[in-house]
Amino acid sequence: MRSRPYKLFGIALCAAGAIFTPISYFVIASVPLAAVGLSAIIIGFTCIALANTRPYLSPEACQLMLRTGMENTAALIEELGLRNRAIYLPSKTRGGRPQALIPLAEDRQIQWVKENIPGRLIVRYGRDADDMAIAVTTPGSINIDMLETKPGPTADEIQAAATYILVGVLDIARSVNVNLADRQVGIEVNGARLGYEDIWYYRCLGSPIASILAAISSEALGKPIRIKEETFNKGKDHIVLEVLP
Amino acid sequence: MSVYNRYIISLVLTSCVINTALAFFGQNDLTLYFTLNIIAFLAITLLYVYLNPRARRALNTIGVVFFAGFMVVVVLKITEILSGK
Repeated sequence: MRSRPYKLFGIALCAAGAIFTPISYFVIASVPLAAVGLSAIIIGFTCIALANTRPYLSPEACQLMLRTGMENTAALIEELGLRNRAIYLPSKTRGGRPQALIPLAEDRQIQWVKENIPGRLIVRYGRDADDMAIAVTTPGSINIDMLETKPGPTADEIQAAATYILVGVLDIARSVNVNLADRQVGIEVNGARLGYEDIWYYRCLGSPIASILAAISSEALGKPIRIKEETFNKGKDHIVLEVLP
Repeated sequence: MSVYNRYIISLVLTSCVINTALAFFGQNDLTLYFTLNIIAFLAITLLYVYLNPRARRALNTIGVVFFAGFMVVVVLKITEILSGK
């Protein structure tokens, strides 16, 4: 369990502080040493509190579930021979749950249907009869529920939401920088622990980090988003998202 | 390094700096050490605003307890000043 070291460290610090503080203050008569004991108690309690918030599931169990879901989706995509990049839709167009669409036809100008896209596996998203796609749930779709409030359409708000999810909740990156330009969102993720691999699934839906960022950006801007480019180099993930009309 | 480790290391380093600096300047009042450590804890916890909600709830609970201790010290000091001791 990941929480165990924190708990042990916290208990050790609290016990050491509780013994050291009175001895330093009353026996040695040293205020600075007593202060060190007090600091140890404060940090000890903090460690114990953090230990209780660590996930119940081991990272190996989480990875197992992520890989199972990814391999099932990958098998479906490969079997259908889909090579198009996925389009991430905001929750309002999918009845409350953001999802990604993988178009069956080659890339072209999309004329979106006015009504909501139905919550099925194979859906029609455009006015043309050939505008059919497969709707899949991605890691990003699930993570939107973890946000306390919906981010606004500015770079700062997208960055705050992405930092909250990737750094605070999932702990899979060190920092996130977002730049919002004309119809493009440039994102740099530092210290990313889930990199990009050149496999079919990632070429279609992007890496889990890109998927999460695409879902957040789509939700914030209220527009469909496509992962245009993703490069991973020495723990730095550079992602360019295209905002579709 | 995980965000939790960075948070703990920030707390440890700040406490070390505060205690060393006060000791260096010959400060001999334990309540001052205590209050500065509590302020540092509250400030650093506030900076790590993007910790996950369960962690923030737990840290907020501890923060309330520490803040209560800080207020006790403040009230004692005010009483001391008002009574002219």
